[in-house]
Amino acid sequence: MTATSAPVERGLPRATATRDLVAAAVLVAILIALPLSGWQGNLRLIFTTLLWTTCSIAWNLVGGFAGQVSFGFAVFYGLGAYTAAVLITAGHVNPYVAFLGAAVVAAVASLLIGLPTFRLRGPYFAIATIGVNEAVRVVMNNLEALGAASGYRVDEIVGGKRVPFVMEHHYLTAVAIFAVALVLSILVARSRFGLALNAIRDDEDAAADVGVNAFLHKLAAHALAAALVGAAGGAYARYAAFIDPSGVFNFNNSVSILLMPVIGGLATIWGPVIGGGVYGIIQEELVARFADLHLGLYGALLILVILFEPGGVVGLARRLRTALGRRRAPGMPLPAGGVKA
Amino acid sequence: MGWLDVLNLLVASLLLAGIYTTMSFGMTVIYGVMKIINLAHAGFMMLGAYFVFELFNRLGVHPILGALLAFPVFFVVGMAVHWLLVRWLPVSDQPTLPSLLLLFGLWLVLQNLGYAIWGNHDRSIYTDMTLATVQVGPLTLSVVQLVVFAVALVSLVFLQLLLTRTWFGRAVRALTQNPFAGRLVGIDTGRIARLSFGLGIAFAGLAGALLASLYSFDPDFGRPFLLRSFVIIVLGGLESFAGVALGALILALVETFSVQFVPAGYQMAISFSLLVVALLVLPGGVASLLERRGRAS
Repeated sequence: MTATSAPVERGLPRATATRDLVAAAVLVAILIALPLSGWQGNLRLIFTTLLWTTCSIAWNLVGGFAGQVSFGFAVFYGLGAYTAAVLITAGHVNPYVAFLGAAVVAAVASLLIGLPTFRLRGPYFAIATIGVNEAVRVVMNNLEALGAASGYRVDEIVGGKRVPFVMEHHYLTAVAIFAVALVLSILVARSRFGLALNAIRDDEDAAADVGVNAFLHKLAAHALAAALVGAAGGAYARYAAFIDPSGVFNFNNSVSILLMPVIGGLATIWGPVIGGGVYGIIQEELVARFADLHLGLYGALLILVILFEPGGVVGLARRLRTALGRRRAPGMPLPAGGVKA
Repeated sequence: MGWLDVLNLLVASLLLAGIYTTMSFGMTVIYGVMKIINLAHAGFMMLGAYFVFELFNRLGVHPILGALLAFPVFFVVGMAVHWLLVRWLPVSDQPTLPSLLLLFGLWLVLQNLGYAIWGNHDRSIYTDMTLATVQVGPLTLSVVQLVVFAVALVSLVFLQLLLTRTWFGRAVRALTQNPFAGRLVGIDTGRIARLSFGLGIAFAGLAGALLASLYSFDPDFGRPFLLRSFVIIVLGGLESFAGVALGALILALVETFSVQFVPAGYQMAISFSLLVVALLVLPGGVASLLERRGRAS
């Protein structure tokens, strides 16, 4: 319930997006300034973290705001990656146009998946998405035209010459995609559309009674999220220069994408961003050191979050703030936020 | 395809349906009583497979006997998991997001446990039985498949007796049909939930243990079966115990016959298509869902 991120004390959602937009602008400005100011830090790490965070924000649109848990976001990531790869390599399309193409293809795929599966209520949708993820990965693994299981090499050739790798270009692309995702997330959270999604999550029948078409709203949120994830996948494909089905369509990607917003704080604006940032950095450290334990650690983290702090990092922060500061007036509703029952 | 091939495939489907039913019952029991979709099902099936594997390798216990031993062991494990984790979940009359995520997290932990202990090699169990066949009329049947089918059948009879002849079974059926009325007549829902969770996990462990005799396995063993279980219980109408057997038979038939036309690599896609078809076109199996859907759209 986010729009509860809002001062819960007043019991009403904050109607304006100004404060969040300003914060987003400052964050993006800092990210852009980093390479331009000649900072010599780890741009690669921030690049991957930004792509993950984009996926996290996108997942939160569907899983957080609308309460439709998907275990299949790797499908959009992978489709975006393959679309961009094919457009760039075989189509000689400008990479930035290719990213748009990736977003469009992922969004179309989300509609194809959503049309049958959103007929189902939440948890049924969730299981169906596990199936979609598996089915798409298997098909891609066998699709000879795209290299099947051995993958696809991305060659960006302009005027007969291979375009050199410039980290800054990839980095700024990721910042741009991240900025779009963040702004969209803020606008959705503070709009009528976002409120409708919240209503669907809280009680689909009641939402229908007040005139919200749940099916169309879910489809729209899903398509929006898929487009963002697809663009992120496209940016990854160009950066990695090589993709294969067991990499981009891996079920573990779907797991990671789901994990970030849950850790950060579901159905909040900044939760997925925090979750993505934490995840991106931990991922880098964990995979390097405990490659064979990271899955279990994520699982344990998920269990702990659900049992002890369903609001994630944001929920924890709110709870601390409440504990330290003002006491809740009697009769005031508890901050809802987070994983809803 | 001659008639003999068709007959062969039919028998193969039936044998497969037996084990599929056992595997899906675990999910149905838990769903029925608690309205929780047990995503950790796959993890417990995997553990069941390794359970017989270890017994067989270290102590020489026959895998079928091992599978029978798995049942009580996983029953206790299931109750422990319920006591430790599941009972803290909010009670609801429909599946909730926290329950989904919690059990998903548990699955990840179990899977990682599998990788940590056994690595990611394919394992398989090979006994004298593995390649043995018997001749029944014109048909050649694999002994191990027959035995697995028999054990699956016994477990189903056991479950049927449990559900119809004991107080626990009546309570389970009552809670499945109407949890509120169940509470009104004095059913201890917490205790029944714990026992049902144990029972569900016991079936998952048993199914995994039996499947270990048929297929090779690795720590990711359960995932395709998780989706299959789900397809089956959706086909069967989610809460109906008889429907599960029917759903298992349908899936087994579709899978067995489709191998003739579709490359084995696409099997997963077939299960999934069947799920979609079931949810959209077969209102019989999903009456409850459709009723709710009607109100929504």
